[in-house]
Amino acid sequence: MLAVEKLQERFPEEIIEVFESAGQTVVVVRREKIVDILNFLHGDVELLFDHLADLTAIDWLGKKTPRFEVVYTLYSIRYKQYLRIKAQVPEDDPRLPSVTSIWKTANWFEREVYDMFGLVFEGHPDLRRLLMPEDWEGYPLRKDYPLFLEPDKEWPVYRELREKARELARFDWYPTLIEHDQAEEVTEEEGHGANA
Amino acid sequence: MAAGASHNDLDRFGIIFRASPRQADVLIVAGTVTKKMAPVVRRVYDQMPEPRYVIAMGSCACSGGIFKTYSTVQGCDDFLPVDVYVPGCPPRPEALIEGLLKLQKKIRSEHGRWGAFR
Amino acid sequence: MAQTLEIIKKQQGEEHWDEPYYVNMGPQHPSTHGVLRLFLELDGETIVRCDPRIGYLHRGVEKLSEHRTYAQAMTLTDRLDYIASAANNVGYCLAVEKLMGLEVPRRAQIIRVIVCEMARIASHLLWLATHALDIGAMTVFLYCFRDREWLLDIFEEICGARLTVSYPRLGGVRLDFTQEIIDELYRFTDEFPRRIPEYETLIDVNRIWLKRTVGVGKVSAEEAINLGLTGPSLRGSGVAYDLRRHQPYLVYDELDFEVAVEYGCDVYSRYRVRMKEMREANKIIRQCLDLLKECEGEPVLAEGAPDLLMPFGKMKAPQAAPHPKRGFVVKGVEVPVVPEGEVYFAIEAPKGELGYYIVSDGTGHPWRVRIRAPSFVHISALPALSEGQMVADIVAVIGSVDIVLGECDR
Repeated sequence: MLAVEKLQERFPEEIIEVFESAGQTVVVVRREKIVDILNFLHGDVELLFDHLADLTAIDWLGKKTPRFEVVYTLYSIRYKQYLRIKAQVPEDDPRLPSVTSIWKTANWFEREVYDMFGLVFEGHPDLRRLLMPEDWEGYPLRKDYPLFLEPDKEWPVYRELREKARELARFDWYPTLIEHDQAEEVTEEEGHGANA
Repeated sequence: MAAGASHNDLDRFGIIFRASPRQADVLIVAGTVTKKMAPVVRRVYDQMPEPRYVIAMGSCACSGGIFKTYSTVQGCDDFLPVDVYVPGCPPRPEALIEGLLKLQKKIRSEHGRWGAFR
Repeated sequence: MAQTLEIIKKQQGEEHWDEPYYVNMGPQHPSTHGVLRLFLELDGETIVRCDPRIGYLHRGVEKLSEHRTYAQAMTLTDRLDYIASAANNVGYCLAVEKLMGLEVPRRAQIIRVIVCEMARIASHLLWLATHALDIGAMTVFLYCFRDREWLLDIFEEICGARLTVSYPRLGGVRLDFTQEIIDELYRFTDEFPRRIPEYETLIDVNRIWLKRTVGVGKVSAEEAINLGLTGPSLRGSGVAYDLRRHQPYLVYDELDFEVAVEYGCDVYSRYRVRMKEMREANKIIRQCLDLLKECEGEPVLAEGAPDLLMPFGKMKAPQAAPHPKRGFVVKGVEVPVVPEGEVYFAIEAPKGELGYYIVSDGTGHPWRVRIRAPSFVHISALPALSEGQMVADIVAVIGSVDIVLGECDR
């Protein structure tokens, strides 16, 4: 593919691997010069990858090192082709440069990757949590994060809300909240049907 | 929404949608409640003047539905006292209307819930 | 009046007079479509800064689908854009089939196109209803729902569910169309082009509508591409980027339809783009119904398609050795195994470019399912579209950009 050849010509030391999967070309690169690489792909007249379709990350815990890979899916509206660039990010230094200077849409994509994986993007104008509440601890999409939180590891704001609701429920006519708690205790002892 | 629109009209039951909780009698919790949204829903409920009722609409509001994850509340009855549960994913407009009619029946049969003579 | 201002200035001190005013269009609001929280910084009535805060409907679909098999994860994708759920399902199935290398029979492809276009019409009708309702035209809401009910009844006839259809399967679709469904669709495609002018006469040249939508939310073509807008929001700015033409999937390369493009760059042109798309979708359904007649009696599920019944509950380690072709056997039911690799597949959903990035590690569970939702990107573009406008305009802009929070937050 023309884009891959041009990349290999221009940034030979940055490219780690080029492979094809399901008919789509993927280029794995190092993370240091990712902004230059993407700038080149964005601006080059014969390539013109002007549409950043997706920016996300993958956690390869236990399968590959380095642990994280940030995936940039680019599309050229003029030449109608896709290209995927993956930047490898190690676990002990989860930082890489931000590409918000090239595409404004990368702003929220990178915020979401920070929120879900904990990768810090240097040069990002406003890096804070997007989908989870601001004071949430932990990075949900990492493989070592549980799918369902244990009751004692609950988010403190929600735990306080529950306790407050129980307090106020003492003034309610129907003891629905108290019954709900008692019903939960019973099912936890017996074992819920589907999850047993 | 379809329950309120042309084919199944809620207006003929005397039910209209209000924009503000302070003018409402019934709170319909529709859809999944997440932990981030739970304090907001509770605040809306607290703003309603008595007599007030809550309908949990949809499987996710009743019990968390298919989303048993770190961020979903397993049923809005974890922090709200619910009067009527309308299951379904999503519930048909007819099911919601039946839920509202059941609520009307429940209100008629209540005595003394909101005061000595209500 | 001027004297009062003087007194107030003296009382408050000059430095307090120019403070910005913060308004929180909170998560519970009648005209933000779903639980979107907009943090606005106002100078009088003009918006200086707009900061959308999302996450109030974040259900962890991506993490949950890593714990489900490929077929089970398809039911999760239903609930993303719950207004046009057939399109989400079709996109997911296409992505997984591309990774598996599974060939879908032609009849199933045509049926998938029909269902996608029906979802497109249903989504645009709901968009028009809520957009017009926010701007103030209430009659349009009732008219649009009347036609949407017809479509939802047809969906119910096809697969049993009105809204969250899980109709496609990996390898085809669940059930074939009966003759009644085809007749009903013929009736729908005959009648619908006569219904669209009913909505248009109400608002197209209405002075209030024009005043509230022309010149509002302007974004130029280059900026729109840079902001990541896709779908009708981008085509309203003059860029003819339609995935059905750029990267044709299913049978779109055989169909004859026009891509709706307008050059006004504002809310009104996006409205016109969607009205035209409804007409084109109707045309596409008509052509597909004629194509269906040619492949009567063909199967709708591929031969190598995985079993329809999937085991539920926690997936334990496979109890038998992996079958060489099909894969793992869990609880006596074969689970589809997808070869190792990754794929990014995007379709033209009613809202924009809906992309699925699926990474497989060679087992029955996906390693990572990433959903590139158009609403996520469009909400991130809201500040650029609305800064400098009035508060009332932001309601029109949110409506024109057609967001669904289920998709955005996943």
